[in-house]
Amino acid sequence: MQRTENPTRPATLDELLDSKLLARVSQLDITSKKIFSGKLRGERRSKKRGESVEFADHRPYVSGDDLRHIDWNIFGRLDRLFLKLFLEEEDLCLHVVLDCSESHDCGTPNKFLFMQQVAMSLGYIGLVNLNRVAMTAIGTPPTTNTGLQQDDTAPTGVLSSVRDLRGRRRTQELASWLCSLRPEGGSNFTEACKRIALSRRGKGVMLVLSDFFIKEGYEDGLRMLTGRGYDVFCIQVLSPQELEPDIAGDLRLRDVEDGDAAEVTISAPLLKRYKANLEAYCDQLRIFCGARDMTLLTVRTDTPIDVLLLDYLRRRGVVR
Amino acid sequence: MTWLTPTIAGIAAAIAIPSLIILYFLKLRRRDVEISTTLLWKKTIQDMQANAPFQRLRKNILLLLQLLALVGILLALAQPQMRGQLAEGQQRIILIDRSASMAATDGDADNPGAMSRLAKAKETAIKLIDSMREPSIIGSGTADEAMIIAFDTTAEVRQQFTGDKARLRAAVESIEPSDAPSQLAEALRLARAHLPDRIQFDENTGDNITVEGVKAGGATIHLFSDGRLPDAEEAITSAEDEVTFVQVGRTDAANVGITAMRADRAFDSPVDVSLYVGLQNTARTPQEVELELLIDGNTTRVTTVTIPAATAPINVDDPEASEDAQRLAELLPWTPGVTGRTFEFAQTAGGVFAVQITPTNPESDLLPVDNRSWIIVPPARQLSVALVSRGNLFLITALQGLPLARLVQYSPDQYNAAAGTSEMSEFDVVIFDGWLPTIDGQPGLPPGRFLVLNAIPAPLGVAAGTEPQPAMVLDWPRDHPVMRLLLLDKLRILSLPDIVNPTGSGATVLAETDKGPAIFEISRAQTRALVVPFDIGESTWPLDISFVVFVGAGVNYVGQEGGVFGASGDSLRPGSVLTDRLPIGASRRSPAAAGRCRPRRPRTRQRRTHRLRPHPPGRALSGELGRPRRARAMPPTADASRGRMPRTCSTRASQTSRPPRCCASAATRSICRTPTRPRQRSASGRGPFCWRWRS
Repeated sequence: MQRTENPTRPATLDELLDSKLLARVSQLDITSKKIFSGKLRGERRSKKRGESVEFADHRPYVSGDDLRHIDWNIFGRLDRLFLKLFLEEEDLCLHVVLDCSESHDCGTPNKFLFMQQVAMSLGYIGLVNLNRVAMTAIGTPPTTNTGLQQDDTAPTGVLSSVRDLRGRRRTQELASWLCSLRPEGGSNFTEACKRIALSRRGKGVMLVLSDFFIKEGYEDGLRMLTGRGYDVFCIQVLSPQELEPDIAGDLRLRDVEDGDAAEVTISAPLLKRYKANLEAYCDQLRIFCGARDMTLLTVRTDTPIDVLLLDYLRRRGVVR
Repeated sequence: MTWLTPTIAGIAAAIAIPSLIILYFLKLRRRDVEISTTLLWKKTIQDMQANAPFQRLRKNILLLLQLLALVGILLALAQPQMRGQLAEGQQRIILIDRSASMAATDGDADNPGAMSRLAKAKETAIKLIDSMREPSIIGSGTADEAMIIAFDTTAEVRQQFTGDKARLRAAVESIEPSDAPSQLAEALRLARAHLPDRIQFDENTGDNITVEGVKAGGATIHLFSDGRLPDAEEAITSAEDEVTFVQVGRTDAANVGITAMRADRAFDSPVDVSLYVGLQNTARTPQEVELELLIDGNTTRVTTVTIPAATAPINVDDPEASEDAQRLAELLPWTPGVTGRTFEFAQTAGGVFAVQITPTNPESDLLPVDNRSWIIVPPARQLSVALVSRGNLFLITALQGLPLARLVQYSPDQYNAAAGTSEMSEFDVVIFDGWLPTIDGQPGLPPGRFLVLNAIPAPLGVAAGTEPQPAMVLDWPRDHPVMRLLLLDKLRILSLPDIVNPTGSGATVLAETDKGPAIFEISRAQTRALVVPFDIGESTWPLDISFVVFVGAGVNYVGQEGGVFGASGDSLRPGSVLTDRLPIGASRRSPAAAGRCRPRRPRTRQRRTHRLRPHPPGRALSGELGRPRRARAMPPTADASRGRMPRTCSTRASQTSRPPRCCASAATRSICRTPTRPRQRSASGRGPFCWRWRS
């Protein structure tokens, strides 16, 4: 829960992820509940009937259809016109959204490091499977002493992003971008989601990595991300200290982002109540996601990355 | 258990406990902790707001401990007290008997011989002092106060009313045993004198008024004694007084002691001394003692005496006596067994005779102090008397009957011729009959010792314009060594001049008639005389036996050096007042210490032998008394016995501030009294003086 003292800031891919883990996750592939169409012809089947070699279905001919797709064998046997539909293979866009607000620089193990690792491993999976990988870091830059924001783009809520990465060669590029991120400043989740929803292209899988402790509410933002061809997975990253607070005594709890203070005297009923509230909050988030065809996965930061990828995400159909 | 100041504690609790809790609420000292988000905490706090105060205080060990400490302080503030046997704010008077019998070593009933009664009494008294209520720090509760009085024949305030236990304890500890008998009435009078005045409520003004002279009743008197209080029945206590008697020692304590001692020289043969020793036994079995006679410290005779056993007040040997009678016999004091032994021997010289007893069974003697007794026997000496007279048959006849060494008759002319020579200084007493030498132009007395008959020496004089009248004697002091032997009821005086006794003459009246004083004693530094101003020939006195007795006793009294103390068999007990005369001519008025004498710096009331040596010796001029006269204190007998008190002794309490009676009147009489240091009481240069010593 508390801010991590001297958090690990990986500078390279090797520091970010173990090469053995990368070797293991390279066997995986990103899946989607739907077959998405892509701009480039990829290795992925699309729901769209296309011009691949793989037969999909027949359908009755209507005027205007391409005569080249008429199944003449059927016409010869039944004397009726049917079109032969083929599955079209498309590429898949993997969009990872990282919440880079300061609140993620907390916990042991560090939440942001964990998010970086998850993003890197998923991005690597996407790259090696020739998917189109995009990543967006959301958040607002920290205010300086003068109160001016460092970046003019800050009001949009998006710090930086990479997009249209494809192929194993872009791994280092992705890694260096991830390593350049710093969990600083606040967040403007709704605005950021709005920007992402407007700017994303194609269809694919969207992973939102955040703790979803958003004071202005996560509902508006997530609502914008739903639909429009994207299969949205929300991964709620929580540190063990947030789940089971190990604080005691008379405390003034200060929010790292906005400095908001809460005076508490830790007691067993209070902790009990906190846990109940946390559970209710997560449940509410899960219900919200479920109602909008999103998948929520709450993970502890002390979960090993391979377990997360090979077990949790695979079970939920993110990877296979 | 009760509370002395519950209100104060309640108020303090009402302030302090909420203050402490409020301080906890207001306590802003919180540790800053940075957390990822306060979102859930805020919500949690909101949820918990309803019962937040209690949540905050729950399981706060520090607050709990502070509350406990606070409650402890508040309880202490309420001053809890156990309702013991002592009431609140009492004034106690602790009387501790320090008389001789308290030195008996049966204080510890289980272990006789280990502890004296006085030590036991002190121990019990200190326990009582320890149980006294302490003064309260706040509130109206007052502490118990106590006064310590130690008494034997006299009572002495060892500690005034105070609540300071340390001082009370020290006062009790400082009490040392004395050898004097106990007198409770004296102690009670002293105790009552120190009580505060009675406070009464005045209905008119509504004020409390202190009634002066009326002592508040209700004093709690704790009497620590062994019960050997001869005057216990005479002791007066107020009806409101609460007297607690703490008895130490046993009623059946076994003791043998000397209770009486008397030495007499035979009238006709002064060399023969008869010494009587009275012995007493309180044990219930006959006791055998070795009786030893010492003359000037040398053992002269030893004999064995068996003292009979004490007898029960009720005859319990009677087989028909009921059990009640036997029990009563155990409660009542037994009559001690008494016996006596007389020593007869010839002793010309005077000396200090001592007797001491040694019990063959030491366990039967709990009080060793009464095993030894002293007496002073004056030397066998007869007086030389000169009679200056024109002829008086009665007087000459009376003098011739006395055992005198010399009796020489002078005419006034012969006396005038011999006066001032060594011839006259050889006489112990000069008797003037109907004539007086002229001193400073008027009839008076030169320095010396005289018996004056039918003449009025200066400074006495006849009242102007008065005629001698017939008179009869009404009163005379019965305690005077001369007058106590007389019976003057039948004396008729035909012509008694009206004598004027000017103030400061040094003369005291020895016989009072219906027409004025009849017999005087003149006692001045240089002169001592008995004066009979009327003509005995014109009275019935010469025909009365009392005349012979008066002449004999008067010559003896005037001629004897110092007083008759000791020689007459008077006994002196520790604590009593010894009155004695100085030798004639003694000019220094402080007794010089000699030998073991410590008259100036008495320290204890223990029995001591003291020797007084007036200086210069009064009769050194006459060349006869070359050595100083010795005066030794007669040691006491056990105070349980009721021996005769010496007549020359006053038992008045030493605490009284009035000058002693004897001092005021007797010019050359010295008062030795206990227990303070020597002290002059004379206003005039040659006036009386007195010294005090502890006997």
